[in-house]
Amino acid sequence: MKALLKLLVAHIKQFSRQRAALFWTIAFPIFFILLFGALFSRSDSTTFSVGMVNEDNSSLSQGLVMAFKNVSAFDVHEGGWDAESDALKKGDRRAVIVIPAGFEQSILQKSQDTVTVYYDATESTSQQVVLPIVHQVVGGFDRAIADAPALIQVENRTLQSRHLRSIDYLVPGILAMALMQLGIFAAAPLVVDRQNRVLKRLGATPLRRSTLVISTVIFRLLIAVCQAALIIVIARLVFHVPMLGNWFFLVGVVLLGTLTFLSLGFLMSAFAKTEETVMPMLMVVQFPMMFLSGIFFPVDMMPEFMRPILNAMPLTYLGDSLRQIMVGATPLHSHYINLAVLGGWFLACLIGAVRFFRWE
Amino acid sequence: MAGIIGVRGLCKSYGNLKAVQDISFTVVKGEVFGMLGPNGAGKTTTMEIVEGLRESDSGSVEVLGLNIKRDSRHIKARIGVQLQATALYPYLTVSEVLDLFGSFFPKALPVEQLLGLVKLEDSRRKLCTHLSGGQQQRLSVALALVNDPEILFLDEPTAGLDPQARHSIWEVVEFARQREKTVFLTTHYMEEAERLCDRVAIIDYGQIIATDRPEGLIAQNFREEAIEFDLAHRIEKEGLGGLAGAANVVMENGKVTVYSTLVSATISALLELAKKRNVQLADLRVHRATLEDVFLKLTGRRIRD
Repeated sequence: MKALLKLLVAHIKQFSRQRAALFWTIAFPIFFILLFGALFSRSDSTTFSVGMVNEDNSSLSQGLVMAFKNVSAFDVHEGGWDAESDALKKGDRRAVIVIPAGFEQSILQKSQDTVTVYYDATESTSQQVVLPIVHQVVGGFDRAIADAPALIQVENRTLQSRHLRSIDYLVPGILAMALMQLGIFAAAPLVVDRQNRVLKRLGATPLRRSTLVISTVIFRLLIAVCQAALIIVIARLVFHVPMLGNWFFLVGVVLLGTLTFLSLGFLMSAFAKTEETVMPMLMVVQFPMMFLSGIFFPVDMMPEFMRPILNAMPLTYLGDSLRQIMVGATPLHSHYINLAVLGGWFLACLIGAVRFFRWE
Repeated sequence: MAGIIGVRGLCKSYGNLKAVQDISFTVVKGEVFGMLGPNGAGKTTTMEIVEGLRESDSGSVEVLGLNIKRDSRHIKARIGVQLQATALYPYLTVSEVLDLFGSFFPKALPVEQLLGLVKLEDSRRKLCTHLSGGQQQRLSVALALVNDPEILFLDEPTAGLDPQARHSIWEVVEFARQREKTVFLTTHYMEEAERLCDRVAIIDYGQIIATDRPEGLIAQNFREEAIEFDLAHRIEKEGLGGLAGAANVVMENGKVTVYSTLVSATISALLELAKKRNVQLADLRVHRATLEDVFLKLTGRRIRD
């Protein structure tokens, strides 16, 4: 126990004293996010496309529609509910405002009625800019028609759009990529330690090998959690990428993904003798995964013949899982399949690593 | 003799190479035991089998009365091991590495004491990657002392070190001797073996060819003194062998050693011979026979080749 803690502290000290390690694990993913974010962020247009569904079609409701059309920031599209809600889901509308049937009648009878605003919760500008404007417009209209207590209520409802911004799509993918690198690159120090006879020297002490392995695993998991937190915070602060899902579920998937790629890294370290051979091996494994498993662009953009490759790669499932949890992306696979495939890779690599790893 | 290390009939091959061939020896508690031989003679292989780091093909090894194959972990808790050329944790400081290694053992000496033993007090805050070769070697010896071991294993502890660094490692061996610890070291430095070791085993091509106290080895093999010189030209061995008092002549790479029971007579005959043949005798020296001479006599080679 004492040895485990000391080893863990030693790992952290070694890590924090190496600028290269810090750069690749901390700065590199953030650099990616900032770069892609800057490339893909929609330029902030000053007008917001808003759908109007006027189910009442009375002179009062048309007056309200006119009030919205007078808002210079709004580009109002009138249409039916089906068309407008679809447009919202596709990301063509920032909000859809529904005036219910019987609206005029209710107001004339001095009873309350409700205008409903549908918006996408993942779009922060909708919440921060569009909703307040809607409330303001309705409030102003309400005061203009009656000095009595407010008759028109506004209800906010979220409607998740399936259309993610590029940056929303990218951030969970970059997190997945970072976790993959953190995991498989554990192979390099292990090979170096074996090459430099550090493992042999440790083998001359009563230290158990399991303690050594566990300390490495805990260390990498700690870094994984810190990395995930950092990426999520930066993405949120700079690009307003939301984190919609359950935090515990997210941490669980981050840990499982890291474990999977750690065991893959340990397996690879079994087949490399020197630092010079392990690095190209890691590259050969990491690059196809980075570009083919839907990290940077959706897999449905890939040609059909590549599907079997995509479907075999663990990063596909980690990326999909994180996208679902973080930004509510349309699933490629269900959570069960994602977790099962990651778990399967983890076990297979673990068994292989235990079978093939040599301490000297 | 109560053996703290007992090795019987040890064999180890790497493919076709027989690294260790039927080696047996006993190390007595409290002695400094040296294994002397050229590089590749099988010293390191033997030592690493005794430390439990390698498996032998056949033969038995007992350390501290325990079987190395069965009780390896118990033995490792009570011995201290220094390996040749180990680069440890480059981004930890000297103190941190000593502290870390201490945590691997049931009991450990204080870091301060270890730093003092190998004279690394001034480098305690240095990262290992910034240490000089000599400092790294001293750290490696300090790591072998971390658990205050009953047996200290040193594999070529002074190889490639400057005289000052070599001295500080010799002091560690003296310190262990004073505390009645057992030391098992390998070396290819004759001077080191003669100076440090209570007993020396001479090993060549995976076999022990002689084991005794250093003086014993010399006395067994030589009553003569050695006359050494370098020759620019060849002189046939027979001519030298006929010199007055010459008992044995070894010629090697232009370096000649004549072992003589009558040194002054041999030298005057030698000078006369050189004058007659008109050859230069460079670097002429006379000394008592050393372990180097013992090795040369037993194997026909110098140890550093």
